[in-house]
Amino acid sequence: MKRRKFVAVGLVAAVAALAFAVAASTVSGATQAKSITVWLQVDAQSGWPDVVSAANQQFQAEHPGVSVNVQYQGWPTHLQKFDATLAGGNMPDVIEMGNTEMTKYMAAGAFQDLTSLKGSFANSGTWLAGLAASGRYNGKLYGVPYYAGSRVVTYRTDLFKKAGIKTPTSLAQFASAAGTLNKKFGKKGFSPVYIAGEDWYVAMGFVYDYGGSIAQQISGKWKGTLTSKKSIAGLTAFKNFFQSASRASKTTIETQPNPYDVYKQGLAASMVGPAWFSCCVGDQYKSSTGQFVMPGHIKGQAMPGFLGGSDLAVPVGADKTLGADWIKAFTSNSAEKALEVKGNIPNTTSLFDNSKINERAAARSWFVPTAKHWVDVENGNVLRTMLAEILTGKQTVKQAAKFASDNITATLNQS
Amino acid sequence: MVLTIGAILGYPLYDLVRLSLQRYQLPELIQHKGEWTGLSNFGSVLHDPVFWHTLERTVVFTIVNVGLTMTLGTLTALLLTRVSTWVRVPLSVALVLAWSMPAVVAVQLWYWMTNFENGIVNHILGLGQHDWYASTTSQLGMVTSLIVWGSIPFVTITVYAGLAQVPRELVEAAETDGAGSLRIFRDVTFPVLKPIFLILTSLSIIWDFGVFTQPFLLIGAAKQTTSNYLMAVYLFEEGYARSDYGRGAAISILMLLIVAILSFFYVRRMIRYGDVR
Repeated sequence: MKRRKFVAVGLVAAVAALAFAVAASTVSGATQAKSITVWLQVDAQSGWPDVVSAANQQFQAEHPGVSVNVQYQGWPTHLQKFDATLAGGNMPDVIEMGNTEMTKYMAAGAFQDLTSLKGSFANSGTWLAGLAASGRYNGKLYGVPYYAGSRVVTYRTDLFKKAGIKTPTSLAQFASAAGTLNKKFGKKGFSPVYIAGEDWYVAMGFVYDYGGSIAQQISGKWKGTLTSKKSIAGLTAFKNFFQSASRASKTTIETQPNPYDVYKQGLAASMVGPAWFSCCVGDQYKSSTGQFVMPGHIKGQAMPGFLGGSDLAVPVGADKTLGADWIKAFTSNSAEKALEVKGNIPNTTSLFDNSKINERAAARSWFVPTAKHWVDVENGNVLRTMLAEILTGKQTVKQAAKFASDNITATLNQS
Repeated sequence: MVLTIGAILGYPLYDLVRLSLQRYQLPELIQHKGEWTGLSNFGSVLHDPVFWHTLERTVVFTIVNVGLTMTLGTLTALLLTRVSTWVRVPLSVALVLAWSMPAVVAVQLWYWMTNFENGIVNHILGLGQHDWYASTTSQLGMVTSLIVWGSIPFVTITVYAGLAQVPRELVEAAETDGAGSLRIFRDVTFPVLKPIFLILTSLSIIWDFGVFTQPFLLIGAAKQTTSNYLMAVYLFEEGYARSDYGRGAAISILMLLIVAILSFFYVRRMIRYGDVR
């Protein structure tokens, strides 16, 4: 009897405590500070963290009591994480999407329509055309252009000077410069020009330089075009250049290791990558680092650089007002200017400056096929695999290109 | 009690089967509403040559892994019975430490050891800058070494405990009759340990067939391709990377059936083997 009484009292106490807790959280919920979640890529974390904090401060000045939770994502897995949040209802309020990734998600209705807010974004009248196009679907605005970038060569001015090399103006000159650098400074693991074997952004530049392409749309159907004569010439040129200039692993991707980490260790005389790589070349080489535009095979002409870029979108189910306001703060004129200083191409032509190497490089650029399923080709690592097969010699250029091209045709033509 | 277990295990399974019968891609995910398509997901998977190549590759992978794990594990257990305490205790501690290491941490260690530029394996073997992930065989070989390393402790400790059950008189009698150690193992030790081997091998088959963490992380998310997929990675790529959840569910149900069939044939063979002997 005593025991039962004890248990009964205990139960009542527990229920009462639970009721108080629920009541308390409901009351405090109304006055609790809100927060928004922002997903940016790790490029921002290493390249321009100060621009992020400036945007956060501006946003918090406008919205006191709302905190900003910035979470940095990696490129290979951020889309799968995003899908999980779309299913679970805890999606971020702002997400950075690569311009090649936008189409699939816009077509699926993942983002909120920002068309009515377009005028309130800075410089929306002079947005970079190529980048702005990636954020539009069926005439509506879903993605605000954030920044673009082309590929340049970041190099050691001291090593080039010692070897008596002047800025190369053609691919052939660059290849022979690599030979000279190898002779003078060659040691285990040293690359005159560090390019990862599976860096398809650089490799496809060669393809487009020779007049080839990845895929073309003919009367509504996509066709892979890596098997064309010009594309094959480009791939062969890449293979030859890689073999003479890069000691990187033939099967590694362009972020493992980061080229600037190899450069920092003194194991590269130059590297091909986004211009903002100059942020992370290491203190000892900061003063002896310069950049020049990657030369193409025709003297005096730049190699087309991948016009990469990102857009910022507000997912369906997130807070549209707060998300859009954060984007406004992050793409303001001063923020874009700061991004430009770091070596990026700003989202507006009104800030263009011809002395900036990145913008000069962007004069000749290439972009991926604007197909709904292009991102599936990227996720399937089709181009990376092709490059690995070519560089390791397991397949001839023609064989590897055919396999990849057929795969691309099938994937892009899915329903 | 039965209701609780039924709810916890049964409901997700029911939901999975339901998902596999629907078209559930990114638009459906966002709207939280699928579209019934019957068995078309299963049909599309079974007609996909990538599915069959991946299955073949995974079966071979499983046989190699399970074979190596069981062989090396049993040999290590036999070793443990022969050595002095001074060796046995440190060896057991090392085995438990290896077993308790989380998979993701182990992958990171392997990645550093086999690193192209600075890996210690290349340094010790004097190979310069050898790329251990250059070919599919090499990639899966690295994954195998990682998985076998992590699985041996469990097999060793379980078999070692089982070896204590083998009657010493039988072993001594066989030795006096002039039987070699291989004969003793086959005719005395193995029949006694058969139930343990049965369980360990079945578990190993189930684990190694569906392994995901090690291949996905060690080879790298960006280097998964149709020529080095294992079944669980294929499932992830088809279901998640391509945002086709209905198809992913169909693949997972097929995987369940395949493992059940593999285990069934193995168990039946082992039991029959026991009867004949």
